[in-house]
Amino acid sequence: MGVVLPLEPIGRNTEKISYSQNETTDLALFVRTSEEDITGWNRQRIVDALLRETFIDPDTAVRISKDVEKTVKSGALKTVTGPLIRELVNARLLELGLEQNRRMHTRLGVPLYDVDQLLVHQNKENANIPHGPEATNLTLAEGIKKEYALLHVFSEDVADAHLKGDIHLHDLGFIDRPYCSGQSLEYIKKFGLNLPHALSLAAPARHPEVLLSHMVKFAAALQSNFAGAIGWDAVNLFFAPYLEDLDDKGVRQLAQMMIFEFSQQAVARGGQAIFSDINIYWEVPRHFVDVPAIGPGGKYTGKTYGEYEKEAQRFAWALFDVYQEGDAAGRPFFFPKPLVHITEKLFITEGHEAFLEHICDVAADKGNTYFVFDRGETAKISECCRLSFKLEARDIEDAKKPWKMRYSALQNVTINLPRLGYRAKGDDATLFDLLTEQIRLAAKGHQQKKAFIEKLMAHGENGPLSLLAMKCDGENYLRLERCSYLVGMVGLNELVKTHLGRELHDSDEAMKFGLQVIAHMNLVCRKMGERFGMKFVLEQTPAESTAYRFAKLDMAHYSEEAAMVVQGNVENNEMYYTNSTLYTAAGEMNPIRRVEREGLFHPLIEAGAITHIWLGEAHPDKNSLKGFVENVFKHTQNDQIAFSPEFTVCLDCGRTMRGLRDDCSYCRSNHVDGITRITGYFTRVSSWNKGKIGELRDRYRNPNQL
Amino acid sequence: MRCNNIKGLIECSFVDWPGMVCGVMFLGGCNFRCPYCHNHPLVLETDSLPALPLGKVLERLAPLKKWLNGVCISGGEPTFDPELGTILTRLKEKGWKVKLDTNGSRPFVLKKLLAKRLIDMIAMDIKAPLDEKKYIRCTGRRVDLENIRQSIRIIRESEIPHEFRMTVLPRYHNKNDVAELTAYLAEPLKLQNFNPRTTLDPRMAIEEGFSPEIFSDLQLLASGAAHNDSNDKMLIAS
Repeated sequence: MGVVLPLEPIGRNTEKISYSQNETTDLALFVRTSEEDITGWNRQRIVDALLRETFIDPDTAVRISKDVEKTVKSGALKTVTGPLIRELVNARLLELGLEQNRRMHTRLGVPLYDVDQLLVHQNKENANIPHGPEATNLTLAEGIKKEYALLHVFSEDVADAHLKGDIHLHDLGFIDRPYCSGQSLEYIKKFGLNLPHALSLAAPARHPEVLLSHMVKFAAALQSNFAGAIGWDAVNLFFAPYLEDLDDKGVRQLAQMMIFEFSQQAVARGGQAIFSDINIYWEVPRHFVDVPAIGPGGKYTGKTYGEYEKEAQRFAWALFDVYQEGDAAGRPFFFPKPLVHITEKLFITEGHEAFLEHICDVAADKGNTYFVFDRGETAKISECCRLSFKLEARDIEDAKKPWKMRYSALQNVTINLPRLGYRAKGDDATLFDLLTEQIRLAAKGHQQKKAFIEKLMAHGENGPLSLLAMKCDGENYLRLERCSYLVGMVGLNELVKTHLGRELHDSDEAMKFGLQVIAHMNLVCRKMGERFGMKFVLEQTPAESTAYRFAKLDMAHYSEEAAMVVQGNVENNEMYYTNSTLYTAAGEMNPIRRVEREGLFHPLIEAGAITHIWLGEAHPDKNSLKGFVENVFKHTQNDQIAFSPEFTVCLDCGRTMRGLRDDCSYCRSNHVDGITRITGYFTRVSSWNKGKIGELRDRYRNPNQL
Repeated sequence: MRCNNIKGLIECSFVDWPGMVCGVMFLGGCNFRCPYCHNHPLVLETDSLPALPLGKVLERLAPLKKWLNGVCISGGEPTFDPELGTILTRLKEKGWKVKLDTNGSRPFVLKKLLAKRLIDMIAMDIKAPLDEKKYIRCTGRRVDLENIRQSIRIIRESEIPHEFRMTVLPRYHNKNDVAELTAYLAEPLKLQNFNPRTTLDPRMAIEEGFSPEIFSDLQLLASGAAHNDSNDKMLIAS
C-alpha cells in the first residue's frame, strides 16, 4: 500500500497504457501502487500480473481484467489501491473456480486495524521480545513470512495440520533460517571475523578482550541467521590460551564483560537479547585433552588444551562469581545461560568439590546454573532451553579440528499429544496409528523446510544466507547434511490422563504408558530418519506459547474432552498443557521423585530434556543442593536439571528481593514485577502469555514448612 | 508401639538441615502460642489433623535413603510427645541420622535423648532474650526461663553440632535484643526474618518482617563478628 498523497490531477502516462481492441479505458481513476506512486488506471497491469504470477491463459486474464474494470468503474471512485484491485481479481478467480491460480496470485499482508493494535500492544508469544519499533517490525515481518511459509513452503496437508493445531511448526516467521546453532570459539579464533559482505575484515584476535568482542559480534550475526539459540562449546577452555598473562582480577573483568555483553546486546530479532548459552567444564573434556590449542593471533601455542586446565578453571570460577553478584540491581542475569557439564571426569578432577559448591551457591542464590549430566562416555554440546547435541564418532573426529565443530537443528515440529487422545477414544491401536501419522506429517514438514533452505543456500555467498554459506574452512558454515530435525511433544501428561484417567505421577500404569508413547515416537523418528536419510530426533519442546496455543485450540474444537484434562484456569483463559513429558507443574511431589521419574524419559529424548525444580521463595543451602546434584548424577538417568527461585523487582526503587511479592519489601511500593523461569530461561513475569501465567500459579514449589 | 502424632512429612528438604538434604517429620502439639507461628495448625488443630503411622513414614523414607542425609524432627514441639524416644529409636535402627528442632522447654528430655545418643544435630529456637516479659510477649505463655537456660547449656555442652535460632519481626524484636542474646550465647545466632504468610494469630498476617537492609544488619550483629562496628551502624540506620 502506498503513502497517502493529496489527490491532484496527475499526468497519465498514456504510452504505458495499452488499449486492447476497441475498448476505451478512459477512467478518471488513479491507483496507489505498491511502489509508493500514484498512477493512472491501466487495465493491462492486471493482465500482466496474472500472466506473470499464475498459470492462467491470456484470454481469461483479459476477461478478468475487464470484469474488474467494470466493478471499479461502478464504484464511482477517484482512487483505488493496488491491494484492492488485486483482491477484486482474486474474487473473480474464486468465482471462476481457478483456486490454484488464486493462491498463486494472493497477497500477504495485514489489516490496518491489526497494525494499529500491534504498534500499541505487546506481542507475548515470546517473552524475550521487548516492545518497541524493532519488535513491531519483527512481528509484522514474521506475520508475512508465516503466511508465506504456510502457503508456499509447506504442502497443504502440513500447513493445515499446523493451523488446526494437530502439530506446531515452530518459528514460521523465521522460515528462511535454520532453528539453532552450536559452535566453538575456534572458528573465529582461527579465521578472525571474516563475515561475507562485512565492511571490514578482522584478523584473528590477539587479546582476550578482542576475542570476546569477535565472539559477541559473531553471535549477533549468527542470531540474525538462526531462529533459536546460539550456543558456545567449552567457552572457558577455548578462552584459556588467551588468559595466561592475565591475573585473577583481569580474568574476573573479562568474565564480567562477557556476561554483561551477552545480557545487554539487545540487537537480535526485534531488539531481543541474543539467546546465548555457554557450555562450561571444570575438567578438560577427554576429546579436547590432546588437541593442539589455538591462541593469540590464531596461531597454535605449541601446547594442547589438556595443558590449559588451570586457566580454564580460573575463567569458569570467575564467570560464576559474576553470576552470583547479578546485575547492578542484584537481579539474576537472563543471558548467557551457563550450562555446566557434570561428567565422570569432573569427579576425579582436582578442585571439583569447591567448584560444585560454588555453582550450587549460584543456583541457590540466583538460579542461573544448569546442571547437564554427561554420564559414561557421552559428550554433549547444549544450547537453547534444553536442546543438546550428543557428539557422535564423526563429531569426536571433528574435535581434533575444533573449528569444525558446529551443529544445527534445522527446524522443530511439535505434536499435540492430548488431541490424539481425544481422537483415539481410549483405543491403544488407534492412538499409536494416529501418533505415527502425526510424526509422518512432521517429517514431511521437515523435508519441505530442508528443500527450502537448500534452495536458499544454493545461491551461495551472494545469496540470502551468505553467512551460512561462508566457507572459511572449505565447507559451508551450515553443514546441511549434518543437521538434525527436531520432533517435539506437548502434553504427554494430559494425553495419558485422557487415555487412562490418571496423570503421569498418579500411577505406575500411567507412567508405563507414557514411556510407551515416547518410545514409540523415538522408534518412528528413527525409522523415518533411515527412510529419508535425515536425522529426526525427539526434543522436549520448550513450548513457551505452544502449550497455551494447543490448549486453547483444543478447548475450541474438542471442548468436552479437553475440559476434562486441560490445566490452569479456563474461565480467565489462563489454560495450558503440561510441557513435553514433564509431570504436572501442580503435582505435589518431592524433587527426588520428580528428578528420578521424569528422568526415565530422558534417554528416549535424544536432543535434550530437563527437569525443573521450582524453589519459589525458599533459599536452599548450597551444600544441600550440591549433595542433591551429585545424587542426580549417580542415581538417575536425568539429563539436566535447574533450580528456579523466584524474585520480585521493584520498579520504583529498583531493588530486588526473593519470592514473588505484591509489594516491595524495601519501599512498600506495589509497582513491582516478578522474575523467574518461564520455560528454559528467566524473564519478567509481566511479559508472560496467559497460559504460562496459569502454570506459574499452579507450580508446586518445594516446601519449607508444613 | 503405636505412634499417632506424626502430623506431617516433607520427604526432601533443602532448607531444614544446613548442608544436608533431609526428610522432615512434624509432630503435633506445642506449649507455646507464638502469634507469628507459621506452623500453627500443628499447635491449635493438631487433634483434627490426620496422623501418619510411624511405620508408613519409615516406609516412605526408606527408598530415599541414598538421597537423604538424615531426618529432621520438627513440630510443634516434639519434646512433649511421649513417643519421641520411640520414633528416634526406630529411625536410628533404620540407620538414619537425626536432627531435632526444639524450643528448649524440656531440658531433661534433651538430656535423656542426648545421653542415649539418639540425636546427631540439634537446633533450638530461642524466641527472645531471656527476659520474662519479652518471652511472654513472643510465646503467648508464661515460660520458665530456667528451662530455656538449662537447654542452652545442655546443647552447648553436648558433642553434637547445634544451632541457636531466632525468628525476628519488628513488632517484637530490635537490635538490642539481637545483641543481647548473641552476647549471652557467646556464639553466632541464626536469624530468620518473619514472613507473613499464614500466622497463628490472624492479626499477624498484616504484620511485616524486617526490610532486607535492616535484616542484614541484624544478621551481622547476630554473627557476633563485627560487634561494635555494627552497633554504630544500627544506630545510624535507626
